[in-house]
Amino acid sequence: MPLRLVPRNLLKHPLRSLLTLLSLAVALFLLCLLRSLVVALDAGVRGAKSDRVIVQSAVSLFVFLPESYQEKIRQVEGVAEVMGWTWFGGYYQEPANFFAQFATDSELLFSMYPEIQIIKGDARDFLADRRACIIGDQLASAYDFDIGQSIPLIGGLFPRVDGGVWDFQVAAIYRSNSSNVDRKSLFFHYDYLQQSREEGGVEGPPGIGVFVVKVKEGEDPLAVMGRIDALFENGPQRVQSCSEAVFQAQFVSMVGNIPLFVGSLGGGVFLAILLAVVNTMLMSAREQVRDIGIMKALGFTNAAAFWVILLQGLLLALAGGGLGILGAHAVSEPMAQALGAYFPGFAVSRETTVVGLVISLAIGVLAASVPAWRLSRLSTVQTMRMEA
Amino acid sequence: MALVPLTYNLRSMLVRRSATLLTVLGIGATVAVISGVLALQQGFERLFAASGRADLAVIMRQGSTDEGSSILDREDANALVKSSPEIAEDEDGRPLASMESYLGVRRFKVDGGETNVAVRGIQPLSIRLAGAALKLVAGRHFTPGSDEVIVGAKLSGRVRDCQVGDVIVFNTTPFRVVGVFECDGPFASEIWGDVERIGAALERPVYNRIVALLKPGVALEDFAARVEKDEQAHAMVESEREYLTKQTRAMSAALLWLGGVLALIMGVAAIFTATNTMLAALAARTHEIGVLLALGFRPAAVFCAFLAEAVLLCLLGGAAGCLMTLPLNGIETGTTNYQTFTEVAFAFRVTPQVLVVAVTFSLLLGLAGGALPAWRAARMNPTAALRRL
Repeated sequence: MPLRLVPRNLLKHPLRSLLTLLSLAVALFLLCLLRSLVVALDAGVRGAKSDRVIVQSAVSLFVFLPESYQEKIRQVEGVAEVMGWTWFGGYYQEPANFFAQFATDSELLFSMYPEIQIIKGDARDFLADRRACIIGDQLASAYDFDIGQSIPLIGGLFPRVDGGVWDFQVAAIYRSNSSNVDRKSLFFHYDYLQQSREEGGVEGPPGIGVFVVKVKEGEDPLAVMGRIDALFENGPQRVQSCSEAVFQAQFVSMVGNIPLFVGSLGGGVFLAILLAVVNTMLMSAREQVRDIGIMKALGFTNAAAFWVILLQGLLLALAGGGLGILGAHAVSEPMAQALGAYFPGFAVSRETTVVGLVISLAIGVLAASVPAWRLSRLSTVQTMRMEA
Repeated sequence: MALVPLTYNLRSMLVRRSATLLTVLGIGATVAVISGVLALQQGFERLFAASGRADLAVIMRQGSTDEGSSILDREDANALVKSSPEIAEDEDGRPLASMESYLGVRRFKVDGGETNVAVRGIQPLSIRLAGAALKLVAGRHFTPGSDEVIVGAKLSGRVRDCQVGDVIVFNTTPFRVVGVFECDGPFASEIWGDVERIGAALERPVYNRIVALLKPGVALEDFAARVEKDEQAHAMVESEREYLTKQTRAMSAALLWLGGVLALIMGVAAIFTATNTMLAALAARTHEIGVLLALGFRPAAVFCAFLAEAVLLCLLGGAAGCLMTLPLNGIETGTTNYQTFTEVAFAFRVTPQVLVVAVTFSLLLGLAGGALPAWRAARMNPTAALRRL
């Protein structure tokens, strides 16, 4: 089989081949990033631990639970530990600077969430200072925060009566090795929030957002959840316990049809590029009619003619697709930085790379097989007679 | 200068119909993706911004970004209304102001999954203030002081227990659905009930905002400035339109950004496609170009002819893209209002702006994609071109 014809034919019209290659690269670049976006949505669900249970209000995501629930839940059979977890809802300078802040029981935080690892500073400094906080490494780099610095936050949900800002001292910077804990959050002491409320300097709802429950080893989390829910069946606030994965998944489901939306976008991109490549392959195949005729006259088989055309398409598709996938990997890190607050865990995964390669391959095969099949079946005499 | 007749281009496109069709469809798909995103943005923005009234004042706690985070003390709220002579009065001299509460509650969707539905506790005046924008489409209004609610029409098919006669349980208290209402704006995705009864059921006896009609002649800005200076009130005032526009800002910006990025990236790919098609056309028609030049057409005329063909090709693609987007018009979808984290239903809107952007975009694609091949065609040597068959 005259394999040398494959690159030669592609280089016959270098500009056209280059343009096709580049449009394929653009399409695959886009498809990989879109897929990574959808994958990132589920990152929190995939990273969730199965021995952690979240107890939240059965009424609303925005209703807090009474503080007294913590002790009551701790008494429930099968519960190892209970930690409060309260959404603070503040913002830095202006509402557009969005990142999550949580008030937790700090002395429990590191044992409940072993995935939170201090990479700079000291956890003891955090525990020793009432106004201290720890921040994720992505948050630190996004706003150039560093240890010892204070972060002024405007309380959206908990405004200070005097109209001033909250000040949190950065005691340490953490990194999370699991996608369920976002690297762009701020954690501080619930006691600080509670005392500020008691002293009357702060408005805002009383109570605790949700409780994170660690189930004793060997206990069935489902049974523990049932016991906790039953405890508050008749109020004052009904609760709904669920696994951490389900808790994370509810946010994904609220976001609504994003996977469908992004999927349709991807479909459009795929269609546009497939048509473009089919077109190029058809056009270049038409120009090769005489060459194929000559090949056949020289005694090459139909199969050889078929493969010469098909391999051109495959080579072009893989080169273009590969380039696009490489491009997606190159921008993966800056994209993760930019989207961190909305899509924690954004990354172009190995799976996405494979999917991208398969799509490139599919485009190449689909686009080249029609002209390859048509040309290979023409008789020698027919091809020689046809005008290019 | 004599121009090459356009029929030449049209016939050439017809002769190479499979290539023409594939190019048109490919560019059409690109245009459709971008105008689809824009239609979504238009639908979202129209739902909010177009429905807000400019003369209705929305009073919230100072510093809050939305109703959900605005919590007003009841006494403070009542005192503020009483001490505000700017607020219009009804026939009996009572201020035309209504206290409302707002909370996103967990509800199950009809097709599975959980969502947050906004529950608005209102006083009877809210319905009067909403005026003609609010229409009851089934049942009746709830009786003030009772455990009854009316639900927005957009919820009926999407969320469970939202038909007349159904019972919705808030915390531990059951509420009966007695009516379904249609309303402009995001309200048609809400549940409305008596502010006191809902507050009691949810254990949240607070107000989240006050809506008030101002006396004729009172400028909203003046009222806002006075209230914001009031140390006691801790409140801020916006017009309803302003408030609703703010709710869409983040989502609108995100969708416009997405549309822009897609247009840029996919536009580049589409330009490559158009260039490719034209280059192939050129290669096949070298002889014809030689004939055109030999007949005395100036290179500039040949340039125009091929550029026109590329533009025509892309405009056809744009038209195909618009046709692909049109069926989206009116399709309802749900998304989260990221300010309040509650679900709102809205429809794609293929507005004239969307179509104008789509056509302009395809025109630009044609110009950018056709320039290089047209230039090459114009620079051909007639003798050399004529020799090629």
